This record gives sequence, C-alpha cells and structure tokens, in this order.
Amino acid sequence: MHEESNVPSVFKAIAFLSLAILLVPMAVVVLAGLNSGDYLTFPPQGLSLRWIKAFLTSPTFLSAYGVSFVVALGATLVSTLFGTMAAVFLSRSSSGSVPVLRGFFMLPIVLPGVVLGLALYVFFVSSGVGLARTMPGLLIGHILVTCPFVIATVTASLVGFDRSLEEAARSLGAGPVTAFRLVTLKIIAPAISAGSIFAFIVSFGQFELTLFLTAPDLQTLPSAMYTSMRYKFEPTAAAAGIFAIALVVISMVVTSRLVNLKKIFER
Amino acid sequence: MSDIQLKNLTKSYGTYTAVAGIDLKIGEGEFFSLLGPSGCGKSTTLRMIAGFIRPTSGEIFIGSDEVTALPPEKRDIGIVFQNYAIFPHMSVAENIAFGLKLRKRPKEEVRSKVKAALQQVGLAGYEDRYQRQLSGGEQQRVALARVLVTEPRILLLDEPLSALDKSLREEMKYWIKDLQKRLGITTVYVTHDQDEALTMSDRIGVMQKARVVQVGTPEEIYERPKTLFVTTFIGHSNVIDVTVVSKGPDMMVVLDGRKLPTRGPENLEAGRAAKLVVRPENVLINPDARASVTLSAKVIGESYQGAIVRYRLGIGAQEIIAERQNSIGNERFSPGAEVMIGWDPGMTEVLAT
Repeated sequence: MHEESNVPSVFKAIAFLSLAILLVPMAVVVLAGLNSGDYLTFPPQGLSLRWIKAFLTSPTFLSAYGVSFVVALGATLVSTLFGTMAAVFLSRSSSGSVPVLRGFFMLPIVLPGVVLGLALYVFFVSSGVGLARTMPGLLIGHILVTCPFVIATVTASLVGFDRSLEEAARSLGAGPVTAFRLVTLKIIAPAISAGSIFAFIVSFGQFELTLFLTAPDLQTLPSAMYTSMRYKFEPTAAAAGIFAIALVVISMVVTSRLVNLKKIFER
Repeated sequence: MSDIQLKNLTKSYGTYTAVAGIDLKIGEGEFFSLLGPSGCGKSTTLRMIAGFIRPTSGEIFIGSDEVTALPPEKRDIGIVFQNYAIFPHMSVAENIAFGLKLRKRPKEEVRSKVKAALQQVGLAGYEDRYQRQLSGGEQQRVALARVLVTEPRILLLDEPLSALDKSLREEMKYWIKDLQKRLGITTVYVTHDQDEALTMSDRIGVMQKARVVQVGTPEEIYERPKTLFVTTFIGHSNVIDVTVVSKGPDMMVVLDGRKLPTRGPENLEAGRAAKLVVRPENVLINPDARASVTLSAKVIGESYQGAIVRYRLGIGAQEIIAERQNSIGNERFSPGAEVMIGWDPGMTEVLAT
C-alpha cells in the first residue's frame, strides 16, 4: 500500500547531503580504527586489524566496555519501567501538578550534563550516602538522563490514545490492571521499545555526567576512550569506537526486529 | 435480562451539575432512549450505568442488584461506544473472544461462540480481519458481536450511529432494533437524533439541562409534549401566542380575537398568556368538516419539498407553518391567497411559556 513518494528531488538531495555529513565522522572513526600505523591519523596508513586486536586484549578497554554495557542495560531497564509509569501518570492525571512534574522530569536533559554531574558528585560526597564513584551511583546518574527519553516517547503515544478502548475492555470483564496490560500496554508497546532504545543509546554514549561519577577502576567506554586519547594518541580508542558503534547498531536492529516479530505473531 | 432502576441519580463536578436527580425505571427487554441536545447529561447518565463515572449521589439497580459502587467489570453489562473501540491490535475473532477468554471459557466453546456471534451480525468469515480493514458499519457489527457474545444483562449504546453516513445509518437503525427485539435484551440508547429515538424506542426519556423532562412512548412524546422544549426539540411545531380563557381539559384560548377549544394543563389560569402548539402536518388548509376549529389566514409563502408542500401562513400578526401531502388532487395555493385553516383540537396542546 506504499504510495509513490512525491518528495521533490531537491529535498531528497538535501536530506542525502545532511545524512552524509552526519555519517562521515563515523566512517573516519571506523577507518582510523583499522589503521596499521602507530598513531591515530587520517587517512589511515594502511589497513590492519592491529588495533582491533589491541582493544580486544586491553584490560582497561574491555572492562570499560563491560561497565558501559552493564550500566546502559541497567539504566534502560529501570528508566523504561519508571518512564512508562511516569508517562501514564502525566498523560492521564488531571492534577494541577502535571505541568510542574513534566518539567521536573525533563530537567535532566535540559540541564548541562556537567552541571548535573557536578551536582550529583557533590551530593554523593557531602551527604555521605556512599554512592560517590560507585556502580550504583553511576547507574542513578544514567537513569536520570535516560528517563526523560522514555517519558517523552511514551507520552507521545498516549496523547492520542483512545480511552474507550480501555473502557471497552473493562465492560467486557477485565479489571483495571488486566485492561491496561491486555489493551493499552500492547498498543503503546512500539513506543516503549523506541524509548528504551533511546535510553540505551543515550546511556552508552553518556560522557559529561559520567566524568564526575567514574573512578579509575570504574570507567565507562567513553571515559576510557577520552583518557586513552589524552595520554597516548593510539588508534585503540578508534577501534573501541568501532565496537561502540557496532553495539548500538546491533541493539537497534535486534530491538526493532523483536518488535516487528511480535507484530507478525499477532497477525 | 434485567430491568434497570435509577434512583435520584446525581453527578456534579464542583458547582456544575451534569445530572440532577434522575429517577427512571427501564423495564425488562425494553428499548429505552435517552434523547437530548449535547451537554444535557445523557452520556453522563449512561456512563454512570456502565460504571465509568461514580455518581455523586443516588442509586443504580440492575435487576435486583444494587451496582452503584461496583466497577464496570463486575456489572455484567455490554456497551458499544460512538467510535466502536475495536481493539486495533487484535483480529476480529480475538476482539470477540476477549470477554469469553477473561471468563476462562474452554477454547472449543470460545471458537464456536465467536463463529456464531459473527454469523448473528452478518459477518461470517471476518475472523482474521483487523480494525483498519473494516468499514464503519462493519466495526459497529463487530462491537455488537463482542458485547453480545458475553450475554450481558443489559446493553448500553452510546450514539452508535452518529459516525456513520446517512444511508448506512438508516439501515443500521432497523438492524439494531431487530437484533434487540430478537434477543429481548434491555437496552439503553443515548442519542441526540430524534428520528433514531422515535423509530427505535419503546420509550424515550427526553433530557434537558441535567434533568429528564418527559418520559413516554414515541407517540406520547411527539403528540403529547409536556414542555415547549420537548415540542421544539422533537420534530417541528408551530408555537402560537394565545391567551387562556378557561382552564382544564376543555380549555379555551383566544387567538386572533377568536375563542378556540383546545387541551391544556390544570395549572394555567384564565387570563394568562400561553403557547398553543400544533404540528405543521396537523394544520389543514381549506379543511372539510373534520376540523372543528377554523380560522382565516393568508398564504405568505410556499415551498415545494417533493413529497410535501410547506406553506407559511399569516394569522393576524403571527406566522405558522402548514405541511400538505403533495398527492394527486391536492390543490396548491399561491402566496397572497386567502384561505381557511383548521385543525382538530385533540391534536393541539397549550403549554406554559
């Protein structure tokens, strides 16, 4: 049922150009990571898997990759759950506190990451809660910045949601929770998955905030790459970048496949 | 099947009263319409019966059970919404099976009941379609099948025809009425469309400003309106200024200097200004002996409508409308013509202003 696109070719050209400009740096990173020279240069002085191998054998990078993955996974799970609940509340409550709460929940992405990171760090240290430079502390920081993405996408899907669908389910014998689970949740599921993909990507690439919350033995991939670039100008960081890009791309493809598969099963 | 009883049912939102103390008894197997303009409280009433809105005060009974405080899923009702609310992520068969699965019926039974329900609404073979592949009329049939398959005690219909185009609306009107009669299910039908209410209902409750102003059969509502609102909201009416001469069933009023017999309530005292109500189809032009009331009038305008011809007539300073069948042998009158008009006093009503 796809209609023939009637977008003028000028727009197509502009879109293609913008996409190219956005994607070129990625190509640079990938090529730099496949460099055979000793330093991070572009164009590469020849292609080799030398730095890929260095990355795969570097304890610093591997553990940073692991930390990033675990943090992103944890932050995604928690913010998907909390964000969805918050979105349901925000779009359904008639309370006067809704606009205030909406602004409050969005604050973490409006505030500069540096400010948020500093604030969290100072709070963790001065309050003595023992979260400074720990995994739970890092996780809390990441949940703060990933939650708004889930809230925004899920709220968008709930804005046009027809409440009579849920009422129909109720009248047919479903309790409030069952009606929500069998009808509402199923219909907004694509938005929830989209929100969780956003959350994962944001967490995995999060840098400024992380800077204040990591310790030498608790490095995320972006901070490890940054440290490595500062002290030795090695292409290992670029190789790590390849793996970061790969993980994000794979996670997106897998998630969208899962969502589509579910749709296929339902048909 | 059960009857429905509303006792002093009230819903207010702050200082705004949406429904103000409704008392109604809807009989077993009855097709009852709540008719009124938008904002009159008819939908709020229906949603209170369904359990989506908690009444501020008053009681709701379905059969002998008081359901006022019960959530919708415990009331054993079926409701069809204006937009049908077909679950878009489920096939037609899954939509219809929804209520049965919640009731944990065996798979075989669910399958055969879904099939029977689709047959009943004339959609056999539609099991695997999705909402977006259905027309408005088909969605409505699916919504009805989904409700009826659970065998609810009462059926609630919230303006179910308003989203359909005119010809389909006509067809569905008779179809729904037939189905309801066949099943004998107590039905509450909310509408702002007088034609729907008049053709489908056993009884109608006319609502105005949060209250039920008159309850009666379609004939009673149309021919014996109790208030000016009812007479003007349902069909067209001539509302003529008159003065009461004597009250009661043998009421006399003065119109254009002539004393006329009519009917009216006891509470209109002699000397009061009142409104004489007569339907355009009951105003006869150059009548025969049937009309015991005759007046002279002047034709002001004529408008041809096909099956009927509508005349604007002047009586003194007032203007009334008369409708005449456009059948063979019926004389036509041109503007300016002097005519006699008349009516049967039994087809008129005097109402307080």
